[in-house]
Amino acid sequence: MSYYDVDSILTDAQKLPCTFELDVPGLGILEGNPGESIKAGTRIDLPLWLGEMLSIGARLGTSRLVTLDIPSALSERVMNAFQADPRTVDLRSLAPNYYRLSERVLELFEEEEMIDILSNTFKKRAAEIADHAHNPKGALGDGAEFLQGLDETERQLFRVAHDSAKETRIWAGEAKKR
Amino acid sequence: MAFPLPRGITPPEISFLAEMEMVTIVPRQRLEGLELLGGPISPLIPPRRTPVPLWLALLLKRQRRANILPPPWLHPESLSLILDTETQHQDYKHAFSPPPPLPGQPNMRERGQRPIARPRYTPEGQRYYRTPPFLPQNVARDQAFDDGEPPTLPFHWLEVGTMLLDVASDDVVDPDQTRRLLKELREVRSAKIRSGVDLLEDAATAGGGVALTGVGAMEIGEGRGFISGVVDGLRRIGASKEQARREQMAEATANGGYDATQDDDDDMEF
Repeated sequence: MSYYDVDSILTDAQKLPCTFELDVPGLGILEGNPGESIKAGTRIDLPLWLGEMLSIGARLGTSRLVTLDIPSALSERVMNAFQADPRTVDLRSLAPNYYRLSERVLELFEEEEMIDILSNTFKKRAAEIADHAHNPKGALGDGAEFLQGLDETERQLFRVAHDSAKETRIWAGEAKKR
Repeated sequence: MAFPLPRGITPPEISFLAEMEMVTIVPRQRLEGLELLGGPISPLIPPRRTPVPLWLALLLKRQRRANILPPPWLHPESLSLILDTETQHQDYKHAFSPPPPLPGQPNMRERGQRPIARPRYTPEGQRYYRTPPFLPQNVARDQAFDDGEPPTLPFHWLEVGTMLLDVASDDVVDPDQTRRLLKELREVRSAKIRSGVDLLEDAATAGGGVALTGVGAMEIGEGRGFISGVVDGLRRIGASKEQARREQMAEATANGGYDATQDDDDDMEF
């Protein structure tokens, strides 16, 4: 994860549901009424970078400002869908940088089972991506829906698999150059 | 990022590397011995068989100064045998057909034996062991099948095969059939690479690994981007789990149990 990595910057902007534990004077701007104060127990979606910072107290065990929740993209419902069939889930509509988001969330929460489900999902979908990348006809036909639902990591995977297959075909003289 | 070439090595570069494989030619013209960077070439005297690097063989073939003897595996019979192994054989349903044995390695029939590496000596008397890519895996042999060894695909099979079929198709036995078999082999094996994604999780966890025995250079080059991408993705997802495991291990070692260190060793062995 580098400083200039656009994808990690975009992941930072993903929203995370947070609940305030304390009254905070003057922070009402987050709720949309500047100048007011925030009451304890308010639920707001905060960007990942902000929520992470505010919840640091919780991790240190001292008084916490906010408590974090698991975002809806990683909810129980989505995990059940993954267990049923990873290929039918539209990751892009859940979050454009789905795996990066889940990676960050998994750093914050201890969810052993979720890791297993996500790795399995990633593997199953990667196998499907490889098939689509090697078979250009699939991209136009029935696979279009699946390919539109890829998240950013998977799109890069598709691109790299497709390009290397194409390069090899060009070398073997089976495809025309560009 | 702005660099136009993908990471890794491109197919033309792989086939360039394959051109240093030695092949056997039958010269049609005399040529004095050549002092090449890769070693001297003995004088070419027709019709004596001589091993030369593939690039020189292709050059001489294009100028009609030599004929190339195709390697024993580049024969419809051997290729269909290998194809059978890849598709029909139980042991190789999800694996690749075995690579050529290394020098000193026991062959298929005497599998239980221990490998014995026989050293060789340079003219200066220094000892060395021959390893790929300096093994003559593509030279013609006099008794191709007499020793009962099943045919095997060398590391650069796809590149050498394709180049020989391009330039010296009249020297290859039944070029159309051979071309078809090569293509079929390639498709069967690339499907295996793609279905092997399930195994890649082992590569993402500490102490694990995935065997790529028998996979050719071009196939590795083609799969490199995808495979490393999948392994990296799995590693990222499992990063926090791995972190927890390591902390646990460090804790166990810090508590100073003798058993803890033994467990650690077991993990590494896998």
